[in-house]
Amino acid sequence: MKLLLDLILRIDCWLLLAPLLPGIINKVKAWVAGRRGPPVLQLYYDLARLWKKGVVMSTLASPAFVILPALTWVALLSAAMLMPLGPLGAGLTFRGDALVLLYLLALGRFCTVWAAMETGSAFEGMGTVREVSYAVLAEAALIAAVLSLSVQSGSIALATMLGPPLGAGAVLLAAGLFIILLAENCRVPFDDPNTHLELAMIHEAMVLDHSGPPLAAILHGASMKLLLFAVLLVQAVLPIGQLQPLAAAAVLAAGVLGVTVAVGLVESLWARFAFRRVPLLLTTAFLLCLFALLVAWKGGPA
Amino acid sequence: MLLVLTVSNGLHFLVAWEVFAVCGYFLITLDGNKRAVRTAGWLYLATSHAGTLCLCVFFGLLAVKTGGWELGPLRGDASLAPLFWLALAGFGIKAGIFPLHIWLPSAHANAPSHVSALMSGVAIKMGVYGIVRFSGWLPVPAAAGWVVMALGATSALLGIAFALAQNDFKRLLAYCSVENIGIIMIGIGGALLARSHGDAAWGRLALAGALLHVWNHGAFKALLFFGAGSVLHATGTREMSRLGGLWQRMPWTAGLFALGAVAVVGLPPLNGFVSEWLIYLGLFDAVAGKQASAWVAMPAAILLGLAGALALATFAKAGAMIFLGAARTKSAALAHECGNWMRGPMLALAGICLGLGLVPTLVWPALTSAAGAWQPVQSGGLSDCGNGEADGQRAGYPHHSGPGIVPAAVIGLTIGETHAAKPSAGGAPAMAEVPLATLGWVQLGLAGLMAAAGTLLWRKVMANNLRRGPTWDCGYAAPAARMQYTSGSFAGLASAWFSWILRPLRTMRRVHGHFPAEAIYQERVPETVLDMVILPLAARGMQVSAAVRRLQHGHLSFYILYVVVALAALASLVLLENVP
Amino acid sequence: MERWAGINHQNLNLLIGLAIGLNLLALSTSRLPMLIRSMSAQGVILGVMPILMEPHADWRVLLVALATIGGKGLFIPGMLRRAMRAVRIDRELEPLIGFVPSLLLGAGGTIAAFALTPLLPLLAEHADSLLVPGALATVITGLILLIGRTEAVAQVCGYIILDNGIYLFGLLLIRAMPLMVEAGVLLDLTVGVFILGIIVDRIQRTFDSLDTRILTTLHE
Repeated sequence: MKLLLDLILRIDCWLLLAPLLPGIINKVKAWVAGRRGPPVLQLYYDLARLWKKGVVMSTLASPAFVILPALTWVALLSAAMLMPLGPLGAGLTFRGDALVLLYLLALGRFCTVWAAMETGSAFEGMGTVREVSYAVLAEAALIAAVLSLSVQSGSIALATMLGPPLGAGAVLLAAGLFIILLAENCRVPFDDPNTHLELAMIHEAMVLDHSGPPLAAILHGASMKLLLFAVLLVQAVLPIGQLQPLAAAAVLAAGVLGVTVAVGLVESLWARFAFRRVPLLLTTAFLLCLFALLVAWKGGPA
Repeated sequence: MLLVLTVSNGLHFLVAWEVFAVCGYFLITLDGNKRAVRTAGWLYLATSHAGTLCLCVFFGLLAVKTGGWELGPLRGDASLAPLFWLALAGFGIKAGIFPLHIWLPSAHANAPSHVSALMSGVAIKMGVYGIVRFSGWLPVPAAAGWVVMALGATSALLGIAFALAQNDFKRLLAYCSVENIGIIMIGIGGALLARSHGDAAWGRLALAGALLHVWNHGAFKALLFFGAGSVLHATGTREMSRLGGLWQRMPWTAGLFALGAVAVVGLPPLNGFVSEWLIYLGLFDAVAGKQASAWVAMPAAILLGLAGALALATFAKAGAMIFLGAARTKSAALAHECGNWMRGPMLALAGICLGLGLVPTLVWPALTSAAGAWQPVQSGGLSDCGNGEADGQRAGYPHHSGPGIVPAAVIGLTIGETHAAKPSAGGAPAMAEVPLATLGWVQLGLAGLMAAAGTLLWRKVMANNLRRGPTWDCGYAAPAARMQYTSGSFAGLASAWFSWILRPLRTMRRVHGHFPAEAIYQERVPETVLDMVILPLAARGMQVSAAVRRLQHGHLSFYILYVVVALAALASLVLLENVP
Repeated sequence: MERWAGINHQNLNLLIGLAIGLNLLALSTSRLPMLIRSMSAQGVILGVMPILMEPHADWRVLLVALATIGGKGLFIPGMLRRAMRAVRIDRELEPLIGFVPSLLLGAGGTIAAFALTPLLPLLAEHADSLLVPGALATVITGLILLIGRTEAVAQVCGYIILDNGIYLFGLLLIRAMPLMVEAGVLLDLTVGVFILGIIVDRIQRTFDSLDTRILTTLHE
């Protein structure tokens, strides 16, 4: 019973808090640009509105077009259940759950991509190609990051992997994971979530044809993914496990907020990269994680 | 083929192997009046015999060394170790490890689809069987683990890179077999590496993953080939750029192909994920062990991840090009669904994929006993030190005799093993269990949640009113099927990163001037290894043999001269040896 | 005193880590100003090192440190910037080795340097220092730049990074050898850059380009 209660609380936590992040990012961007910007809760309003709306579906698409966003959402929610939340721990933890998490993210991607290709639109094709191709490089970086966490903690279970502090490699890992966060969540400089120039988009181009409740599932899933990566980044770098529960929760929240603000600042201050430069940045992220791995392995300098 | 698996005599094995290879040839050339099919058959026969040659030498030397044709565990004799390379080459050709895979794509593509399914699902696994069998029986060289793992990682990455660049969907599936054999080889290499380093804990995990992947690959690849066969049957073309939108006409095939694609990419909750997960666990343990083997396990894990992501791209492409979007040609628009006789086996295979994915514990006893049989000493409950003494080949290695390595509880749901990562830490049981049962529950829960959420969303959408309209396409007024992304354009971005090995052939005519002529852009990926490495070498070989052939001219008197010269040479050799 | 040495040791390793990071930055950038900036930052870092290594700095050590900072950190980059401005080129357009491959090569070289260093017969006092792998990695970076880039300014940068690697090796001998060796190297280099600057100017005037590949037309 207690377990069930815990699970429900946790799900609520992820479901309710996740849409805050894009709101904060937009607020930061507006603040840097000197505008007032949309309210922080804008995404909640959008989701509520979309949930009530009807759906227009392409004549080419199969019923899977409507169902696949739900599967993506489930994959991301399950991944979130595996991610420990500071003092709360993870909803479920076992040896090797880090890999399950990685592959759940891949499953989410596969479902999104399949739904995008259903429409036979050239724009969706474009977005899909970019998504799956850049994911290859991001995957290498992510595996290296998980390996480095695993090496320095001697474990493959996320709950213990994220516990101990990392030492010198932490800076490298933080930088690498931050770049991966930007890439996986299709933020600037990889993708511009605000643009309406379809040629320059990745994620937005893939979901062009969605509408109504499926689009709500996609948007909510995307915000959960952002929260997931922010939580991963903060816990991988900060020694949260050694703090008192309350302090740990506070540090975690502050860290996630910091990461979100940083994303907003990056989006305000950087322009989107030309697509040919994206592999270079992802390779950099991979190398950062790789060196973090080597530092963790060899004990490293200092 | 069964014979190959059951015999325990080297000579019988060779005979059975040869029968099996020749049967393969006849199966491939069932459709023998096409030129491409005959070429593929010949290529298969030639490479297969190259492999058999290696095996002949292997068994012959083995018989010479042991004094008999009987096969069995011979781990004690370290002088047999170099023979492993021969076995690796011979069986590797059959399995289709990367540089030896040249026969595989054309044979798989040109054989009838059910034969392709059989070949990919079972026949190439014979090679894997051979490698596992003989590496279990015979001592292996110290470098074997490194080499096998490196070969496996190369196969996995390059196999899938080639697969991504293909336009012919059966060739794509064939190259994907190369990738999966690579994944299996990574697992086997891990096991060999662990054995030669004396810490077998993670090695058995990797081996169990590899063996499970053999079965899994048999199931989902056969499913995919059946799907491909049904598409081929319905449309008459293997080119993905001529298909599209088939789900409307062939919903069953589309759905089952999608299921197979999820399995082959290794995504939860299907079976492909379970075996890849086990291999990953082995590799991660190896890296966390911080031994020398981590140097190869680390890149292998990263390359496995890369291959996984590329596989996602590949099968997203295959599924999308064949089944989604709008039909690109008339034949695709007029396709028809396959009959019950074709659907039945596909459903059964899909059931296997789902079953192995959701209840992986079913196969665990078999896997552990197989892994135990491969490495009888460790799983028999002996300590690592005793094992090291029993195995002379390992004498040079330091023993990380962690407390009580591998108790006899190997056979069971969880491998209770003490991790050898921290030999000095006084037995910190860092990674104790393989929670396969938990993974099963996770997969089951995931599948249930997906079904529930999917239904819920579908209901909600229906309640909210679903309308049909043309694809939006950013407001473009006249979308046409030709505007869709094609297989080449889908793969272009990622396969450009591999152009150094893919070596695509391009024909391009740009748009020029005010009234431009038709512009052309064609790109085709050849069988690079065959066309650019093997064939030129073979041509060089032909030149040499043509020169030698001049000795063969039919004049009897010259032949007698040869005999005399040879005798004189032999005699002088003997004489020279006798001179001190 | 012990404590001081320990902290210094840590700081030294941190600086070498930074220098390695700058190596990779230099390999990955296509913009010449960025390349020059990373090179000059590396020069400054290298200049600080002798002061850290020798707590009782006599005037010679200080002089060399200052000369390194001044020469590699300020003077040579300034010269290169002037040359760059004079020929109005600010980015490498057609590298022989692309940026991603050269980055991967550099990283691979760095890892190899770290992996191979334990095999070298080093003094015990240098065993846990990053000096040797750092030096090797820097040399490899310089070589990749020299081989892979076609722009003369980028090649000069590669040459200087190569020299930085040799300088790092030289720091191993800071106790044993007079620092005059390093001073001599610095002098060589300065002269070299002078000459290169003149040559760059001449090439530019003659060929209207700084693409060193064109120079193959000069062979007989």
